[in-house]
Amino acid sequence: MSQLQVKVAAIDDVSAGVRHFTLVDAHGGELPAFSGGSHIVVTMPAPGRTYRNAYSLLSSPENRAHYEIAVHRQPQSRGGSIYMHEQVKVGSVLDISYPVNLFALSRVAKHHLLIAGGIGITPFMAQIHDLERLGGDYSLHYGFRSREHAAFADALKARVSQRAVCYDESLGQRMDFEALLRAQPLGTHVYACGPQGMVEALVSTARGLGWPEHHIHSEQFLAPPVGEPFTLKLSKSELEITVQGDMSMLEAMEAAGVDAPSLCRGGACGRCELEVLGTDGELQHHDHYLSDADKASGRKIMPCVSRAKCGYLELNL
Amino acid sequence: MERGYWIRSKPVYTALLWNTKATAHAVLAAGEGGLAVLKLFQQALPEQAITVFYSPAGASKDYLPALQAAAGADLQVFETTAALLEAWTRYLASARMGLRIYSAGTEKFMWEVTDAAEAFGTLSNDVMKELTGSLARSVYCVHCKSLTHEVTSNIATCAGCGRHLFVRDHFSRRMGAYMGLMVDAENPGEVPEIEEIYP
Repeated sequence: MSQLQVKVAAIDDVSAGVRHFTLVDAHGGELPAFSGGSHIVVTMPAPGRTYRNAYSLLSSPENRAHYEIAVHRQPQSRGGSIYMHEQVKVGSVLDISYPVNLFALSRVAKHHLLIAGGIGITPFMAQIHDLERLGGDYSLHYGFRSREHAAFADALKARVSQRAVCYDESLGQRMDFEALLRAQPLGTHVYACGPQGMVEALVSTARGLGWPEHHIHSEQFLAPPVGEPFTLKLSKSELEITVQGDMSMLEAMEAAGVDAPSLCRGGACGRCELEVLGTDGELQHHDHYLSDADKASGRKIMPCVSRAKCGYLELNL
Repeated sequence: MERGYWIRSKPVYTALLWNTKATAHAVLAAGEGGLAVLKLFQQALPEQAITVFYSPAGASKDYLPALQAAAGADLQVFETTAALLEAWTRYLASARMGLRIYSAGTEKFMWEVTDAAEAFGTLSNDVMKELTGSLARSVYCVHCKSLTHEVTSNIATCAGCGRHLFVRDHFSRRMGAYMGLMVDAENPGEVPEIEEIYP
């Protein structure tokens, strides 16, 4: 995958555990254009292993002088978010992917209902720029644990106060998904980004109220869950690779020099799908891409976030 | 058309079935579509509010007494499809998400209902459709860009330019019409036999 080189121009702490990075082209040029909802994958060459995490771009898509991302230090980080918080300084040079949008605004929506939980606010920061520029009708509902976790809440209040509703959970303020979804005019599209429980509750409430699938959009980047080590056999490459417990299959293949396909690295896009040829254990699917039927078939797997509880797993690569 | 010929743009119409996950239901029918509504009301009724818009124009039978018995106060009757579509547009303006839309009648009618709903941000696939009464097609002339309605034959005479148009299966959801191409463009006057294939 072709990469861009960027230099960290500024680092700010915007809320408890959330660090904000401003990235400029390392060679002083303009960065590629993107649309609100896009993310980049940042490569982090930690000693001993390389991490690659997806982060939503939150800066204005009109501004090609820099990109902005916000990184939440994950309490159970495998190392990626800690690397961003501890190793990356102003002036650090990072390899990032070109922006990819898996969370685009609908062009035919009459109203956009944006639902953010915690750090899930980031893609909406860029989408709001697009909506303001295009004159789109929208409302943003942003929930956070407490005032000190409310990344960008003040900026939102200043920019789009009449469009944004904030919910401070520490004050007992909670979104009522059912009431909110029932009140939406025909032609509304809903977009959810945030913790898994919140996104799943929103999506299932919308489906239960008869929202058509095409009107429901969500994005969650998963970190690959930790598991037990196993042996990965690659039939075409005739390779056997050990997948450590805290590594994903994709990371293990990359570390072994295998050119495995990937894009979002968070179980969302489907690019890394591989065919399962055999295993002596069971597959542990963690992605949002494969259908339940595909997962049950045992024939496909997304190596970016899924793994297996087994001695060996054989893939057609 | 050749037996079994199908291309992606050609719509597939099924029988109306209630979508039980909903906040409200709107059923729109004209003419023979009344029978499809009666069939719908034979099914277990959903819990949410139902509104039926019906225009008897073009029906071969009087379905009104049976529809009144089935739908009661949920039924609104219109003399013409034009009046029905006006009421439908007013209804859409205050409709909320979770509304399920069902339409039955001629292809032209169903796509008029769909077109109105699309103007309010509904996708055409989310309007359930049951074709009743006739296979008659609306045809869009690719030469003069006018529409010819109620075409029942393989070759139509364009209402706009008078050309003989071969009626293709290539369907435009935006216009609710099939593509019509001049059939004798290569050899003027050589028009194949005209047959009624969309009775």
